[in-house]
Amino acid sequence: MIDFIQYTLNGTLIGLLYSLIALAFIVIYRSSRILNLAQGEVVVLGGFVVYTFMVQLSLSLWIALPLSLLTVLILGFLMEKGIFRHLIGEPLFTNVMVTIGLMILLRGLMLVAWGPAPLLFPEVISSDPVTIGPFLFSRPILFGGVFALVLFFCFHWLLEKTRWGLTMTAVAEDPVCAQSLGVSVKRSVAMAWALGFFLSAVAAVIFLSGQSIGFLASDIGLVALPVALLAGMESIWGAPVAGIIIGVGQALSQAYLDDYTAGTMSKAFPFIVMIIILLIRPQGLFGWKIIERV
Amino acid sequence: MAVLPCGVHFSSYKQAKAFIHTPAQWASLILFLVFLLILPHIFPARLVSAASIMAIVLVVVLGLQITTGLSGQINLGQSAFMGMGAFATGALAINFHLPFWLSIPGGGVAAALLGIVFGMPALRVKGFYLALTTIAAQVLFPLLIIRLPSSWFGGATGLGLEPAKIFDISIETRTGLYYFVLVGAVIMTFFAFNLTRSRTGRALVALRDNDIVAEILGVNLFLYKCLAFAIGAMFAGVAGGMWAYHLRFVMVDQFTLWNSIWYVGMVIIGGTGSILGAILGTVAIQGLEELLVALGPWLSATFPTVGGTAWFTGLNIVLGGLIILFLIFEPKGLAHRWNVLKHSFRIWPYPYV
Repeated sequence: MIDFIQYTLNGTLIGLLYSLIALAFIVIYRSSRILNLAQGEVVVLGGFVVYTFMVQLSLSLWIALPLSLLTVLILGFLMEKGIFRHLIGEPLFTNVMVTIGLMILLRGLMLVAWGPAPLLFPEVISSDPVTIGPFLFSRPILFGGVFALVLFFCFHWLLEKTRWGLTMTAVAEDPVCAQSLGVSVKRSVAMAWALGFFLSAVAAVIFLSGQSIGFLASDIGLVALPVALLAGMESIWGAPVAGIIIGVGQALSQAYLDDYTAGTMSKAFPFIVMIIILLIRPQGLFGWKIIERV
Repeated sequence: MAVLPCGVHFSSYKQAKAFIHTPAQWASLILFLVFLLILPHIFPARLVSAASIMAIVLVVVLGLQITTGLSGQINLGQSAFMGMGAFATGALAINFHLPFWLSIPGGGVAAALLGIVFGMPALRVKGFYLALTTIAAQVLFPLLIIRLPSSWFGGATGLGLEPAKIFDISIETRTGLYYFVLVGAVIMTFFAFNLTRSRTGRALVALRDNDIVAEILGVNLFLYKCLAFAIGAMFAGVAGGMWAYHLRFVMVDQFTLWNSIWYVGMVIIGGTGSILGAILGTVAIQGLEELLVALGPWLSATFPTVGGTAWFTGLNIVLGGLIILFLIFEPKGLAHRWNVLKHSFRIWPYPYV
């Protein structure tokens, strides 16, 4: 029983981290209608930026972290300036494809800049386990989970309560209408990418702390896709709920089903959920249902 | 736009539908095919291998062009469908001792079935949601292959094949393999071109342009969406079968999400929705890769500070950058540029007609 609760709690925390990356998907999607398939690469890029400041320039954590976050914010703005500004009003197909181009481009840039060999990411959060009662937690994941919850409150307030966030949401609902009412679509897209990059860098710090960082770490973006989809691509609070469902499901299948399936079930679980969701309720748990008219 | 060569007048629909109108076009097509036939005798061995791989990739990209370009169904799992074809071909050849002319179509059918399974959600979802189901196909495929009994698909160790045989003659030499895949690629290209002017092809284009309107006009959405995936995956499966006989070794690591993404890149750069675009895109990207492999040693020697691997990873930057630039500045791709060139050649010396 203790084991079961332990697995569930660990799954919950991991799920909260997944939902942090899913939130980056959601923030970009609900403000610009672009599904950023390059999300995994963006997370790794954030990690590499932190790595550069902390290890290669050997700055202390409290200087390196704000500097890195500022850098990724600027990089996010540059995405809009360089690419997405030219694609406003283009069909969805183009916008999905351009993120695929971005994925290849970012991976190439990271391979050239930081090389193909995995590097050791600094221990931003010490890796000593934390014991609460009978339960044992990994410290980065525990801190990350709590921090993710704080971020969800902030982003919920930002996007649902402030005028600024609501204008971004208006752009997502109907860019043409929003533009004609005086909302700057370009600014909204730029903000969305900056926030998405910011969230990805935060997730990278928590995820990679004390681990190795290489371009293959971008697989995490793939696991966050089912979470974003299950949440519904527009819902801030859907993300932690969906993240916990996926995280707990994965942890439990790892604990109880992997023995029978040679370690396959825990890897396949998020994607099986994704296909079921797509077949039953494509708008996710809390997404907007959009009726298409001709 | 459609300026035809001088002296071409249509008096029937059949003529209007033809791809080749003039003797000069026939002559250039035949010359091109002759060039492909004598290619292994005039080019060095390494280029012949590259041409074989290019022919296999061409078939995969043709399939993706039909699913994504022609029918508008985003597909990021083409590599998994190719893998399905390769494994099915291998399994048929090893376990049932079928000759290649049965096992490769068998691989195509197996891939088409997998394509239908993952294309089925297309009826309910569209756009990027579809990209997600095909990503799921791509992620689940290797897990499934490794998990299935190893007597079926070889599990994690993969499958090793006997060479393909025609009348007891093994196709093993580089040149033999080149002709083997060339025949396959020519047949599939012929099929792809003809698909675009059939009823099925027109229905698929209607589906892409507006699926709700297409349904109102009497196109059976479920049937044609499944068909879009089935045909595209079938191409990938046939290519996978050729790949299996070409390398004679099949493993899940050969069919990654990253390959699928590159195939999409080739479609975009070539021009979405055009069969010619698939050919141009494949030749352009594969040619670029080959050029870099050829120039690699020279580049490393000339610029020793850059490091040897940087040039190959740099190809990612070039491809990613090209995709983004093409989408922004020339969304119709190389095929459109080619048509513009032809057009201005025909009306020369006038700027327009």
